[in-house]
Amino acid sequence: MQYNMPDNTGTGIKQEFDIVVIGSGPAGATTARYAAANGLSVLLVDKKQELGAPIQCSGAVSHNALEQAGVLPSPEFVQEAIYGFAIYNAKGEKKIIDYREIKPAEYGTGEGCKPLGYVVDRRRFDRYLATQAERAGVTIWLKTEASGYRVLDDGSCAIDLCKFNESITVKAKVVVGADGVQSQVGKWAGIKTHIKLSELASCLQFVVDGVQTDGLLEIVTGNEWAPGGYAWVFPKGHGYAEIGLGITKTMCAENAQAYLDHFLKNSFFKERFKNCRIVEIQGGGVPLAAPLKTQYADNLILVGDAARHVNSITGGGIHTALSGGKIAGEFLSALLLSGQPATENNLKGYHDNWLKAMGNNMWKLYRVKRKIFDTADVLQRDEQLYATMSNYFSPESEYKKI
Amino acid sequence: MSMKTKQPVVFEIGWNACIKCGACVAVCPQEAGFISNFDTIAVHKPCDIACMFCEAVCPVSTITHTLYTPSLSTQP
Repeated sequence: MQYNMPDNTGTGIKQEFDIVVIGSGPAGATTARYAAANGLSVLLVDKKQELGAPIQCSGAVSHNALEQAGVLPSPEFVQEAIYGFAIYNAKGEKKIIDYREIKPAEYGTGEGCKPLGYVVDRRRFDRYLATQAERAGVTIWLKTEASGYRVLDDGSCAIDLCKFNESITVKAKVVVGADGVQSQVGKWAGIKTHIKLSELASCLQFVVDGVQTDGLLEIVTGNEWAPGGYAWVFPKGHGYAEIGLGITKTMCAENAQAYLDHFLKNSFFKERFKNCRIVEIQGGGVPLAAPLKTQYADNLILVGDAARHVNSITGGGIHTALSGGKIAGEFLSALLLSGQPATENNLKGYHDNWLKAMGNNMWKLYRVKRKIFDTADVLQRDEQLYATMSNYFSPESEYKKI
Repeated sequence: MSMKTKQPVVFEIGWNACIKCGACVAVCPQEAGFISNFDTIAVHKPCDIACMFCEAVCPVSTITHTLYTPSLSTQP
């Protein structure tokens, strides 16, 4: 249990940390964990009462991504193991990329084999990551909302928080904005973080009972089903599946709900979906956008969805959040423990490290995505997306690590 | 429904259909803090940008608006 120190500074500041991380999703909790493990004092705040809820994500993440971020796959959050992909075109023709067949010695259920990835329960996953951070020494405050920050004369900053209705100002050298797709932290520093309507996929998914799956992430392309995005059927464990889609609103008149209804009732899967029963409804905005060109300011950096660290071909953001969080946590600990100030100029190093490790590849993916969706002819666009998706998930893909 | 209007508007949210997905806030070009207590775009003050991107991106089309008339609206 943490108790606030008496306010003896005359500035309303009650506690001091090396860094304060705002938002305990995969990016924030990972940043916090690596920073604390490397010797920083870290406060991680989240305004929610239950991390990960309401779910705005399908929850697919590769084994590789977890391993690289020091997260062991645990039954606490894994809902189902994934072994490959099935990519469909608009007519229902498919390319199956099943790593149980492509690399049977490495992937599968047999001894010495591992899954390619997992569908996780974000409620349990986000809580697990927060717990790992807490065990690494991070102080966590839930029901704590951040409303602003100001740079102080001594080179640190003050962050205004409200925790269970109590106003608390804390001091830190760096504030990390990990506040997701609806990020406000970047706006505090004047960074333009909003996403163009043409680059925010409007997503809706149902968790359903009564739809068979086979350890594959199924991806349905085609303007007919999901203009400017794709539809999906993912295994969700215990006999459940996720059926969802994301669309780009500048490319169609109807909303995601209407497209999902159309996909359920009229697609080549209509017989398969005939008896499905909806047990959960989830939605989200997924940035199929370029990463932010500036992800830092004086005493401030952005990670995860807040920095638009999303794979703009797949819409996947967990891997990029974990990797980006690790980069941020390691960078901040090295910078601050060396005694250097957290100026905009010094924090640029985080952005540079991120570009080198993954950002440059994400920019490449963004350009590929733009080229596809800027194609005016619908048939050509459909063909390009089907080919790109099929190639992306193949063992030969140059983007395998993102 | 017109997609663009130059007059300030006040947004209304049909809370029954809102799935708390955050897409309206993500696409909103307003400054920090133009949000409701339920993580949607603000409904308690007028929007003078009136780009309507929030209405467009809403997966369940549960955002609507009325034109802002100062005499009838509550103070922000």
